Amino acid sequence: MSDAVYRLENVAYRHPGPPGTAFRLEIDALTVRAGEILALVGPNGAGKTTLLSLLAFLSRPAAGRLEFLGGDPWADGDRVVAARREAVLVTHHPYLFKGSVGDNVAFGLKLRGRPEAEIAARVRAALALVELDGGERRPVSGLSAGQAQRVALARALALRPQVLLLDEPTANLDAALGMRMEALLRESGPERGTTIVFSTHNFSQASRLAGGILYLSEGRQVEFSHENCFSGTAETDGRTSWIEPRPGVRIVFSGAKRGHVTCVIDPAAIRILPASAAAPSGAGPNVFRGRVTRMETTDAARALVRTSGDIVLRAVLPVRDLEAAGVSLSREVLLRFDPDAVEVVGDRPADGEKPA
Amino acid sequence: MIFRELALAVWVSLKTSGLAALIASLIAVPAALFLAGREFRAKKLILVINQTWMAAPTVVIGLLFYSLLSRSGPLGRLGLLYTQAAMTVGQVFLILPLIVGFSYTALRQVDKRARRTALTLGATPRQAGWIVLREARFPLLVAVLAGFARAVSEVGIAMMLGGNIRNVTRNITTSIALETAKGEFRNGVVLGAILLVITLGINVLVQTGFRGRDGE
Repeated sequence: MSDAVYRLENVAYRHPGPPGTAFRLEIDALTVRAGEILALVGPNGAGKTTLLSLLAFLSRPAAGRLEFLGGDPWADGDRVVAARREAVLVTHHPYLFKGSVGDNVAFGLKLRGRPEAEIAARVRAALALVELDGGERRPVSGLSAGQAQRVALARALALRPQVLLLDEPTANLDAALGMRMEALLRESGPERGTTIVFSTHNFSQASRLAGGILYLSEGRQVEFSHENCFSGTAETDGRTSWIEPRPGVRIVFSGAKRGHVTCVIDPAAIRILPASAAAPSGAGPNVFRGRVTRMETTDAARALVRTSGDIVLRAVLPVRDLEAAGVSLSREVLLRFDPDAVEVVGDRPADGEKPA
Repeated sequence: MIFRELALAVWVSLKTSGLAALIASLIAVPAALFLAGREFRAKKLILVINQTWMAAPTVVIGLLFYSLLSRSGPLGRLGLLYTQAAMTVGQVFLILPLIVGFSYTALRQVDKRARRTALTLGATPRQAGWIVLREARFPLLVAVLAGFARAVSEVGIAMMLGGNIRNVTRNITTSIALETAKGEFRNGVVLGAILLVITLGINVLVQTGFRGRDGE
């Protein structure tokens, strides 16, 4: 297909560091198409930021092939600069240059030699998109982390690049603004033809925004499965709703929903209890019996546990809690989560009903 | 001491030291940018040599260049000894390590993200280098001013390489030395005050101009 923006084959990158801390990222195959929104999901240290850095051509792969718009940007220095101008990265902790908000948003446009009138118009429009209208003259030294992130996003949006690379774009924003930024990204993506690759820890955000999800763990892409993601026809008693992905298995969530619902359960919100703990009956909704089928540590402090049983669930819990929870391979455990931990990421109302 | 003579001494000071600060900055700032942006084996050694060089007494540098520029020295043919050019060359070598050291510290303090941000926004590597320098413009200017202040206030090099020739290589500091030797303490104090006013004026201009504009 000719609409591939990125094509990666056996790309490897080694981040130098003292013995024992060196990091290696390996991507066997990845294609990102024009207008696609791709989410990079994984725990800390999985390689999300490193991959974004490779896609922004700020780091060079040690091996493999990284094609951008059908060519190799690393073939010569001019091509790298041209490729960077089409794939702009907004980092998790963005750096703002000394001066005003307007200076920062105009920065890339000035580098591209745009006329002054066009720069002024684009700066105004970009600031309006991130809800910082009229803030051109404001010095950056007084901005909060969230405002700085919005200025950095405006700085990238003003350039209208073919690809926007965003490292945890809503990490510094409050929930309401985060949702508005998600809407903005959705508008900036397929609707305007901008390809977006963003990283997040938030699985449900990835599900809401992205057309594709690349799951990374310890520098490798891992097969993405729809664990903790369930669909079914929702019933409601007016206060809570539930779906039954399998007969006799009921997932309860807050709010009134009817019709087809897709929901996800945050792995960090699932508690694991020894199988000998109090019987599920009377313990409230969303308690399931399962057997540990896989355990791995995602970093020094957290462990990923996969269980099969009533339903397949994946939970993330502190390593120190493993023993307390009686977690070991093949062991039977109880899994429990609160209805509020279930997030509805897609719903299609029942026939004849309006969406809630 | 007549006014013309005094004005000439001030002019010689400003000219030789200003030129020395300019030349030294053109060498020192790129060198500091190179050192701050790269890690290599000899870097530590270079920094130690630079720090040691910073502490070199002016008379030692004066003596070194005197032996190079004197008629029997390897550069004697150039005929530079007892000229303003010789004073400038000596002062460049005096303040070079100072500006390298201060600039290196200033550039190391620039956030590493500045260069990467400039690159991702479309800067060429050279433009990104300029942007890093721009981000450190205030401390870099302080480094240059510190170099100028060191050059304008030194006496050993000016005396040994300039020779304190009246209306030619006599500057403020050599004039102060001469006036003091003659017992004309009042003239010495006046010249010292002029020297202080010059450096104070430049510092005030820079501080108000830059801090005001950057909102720092």
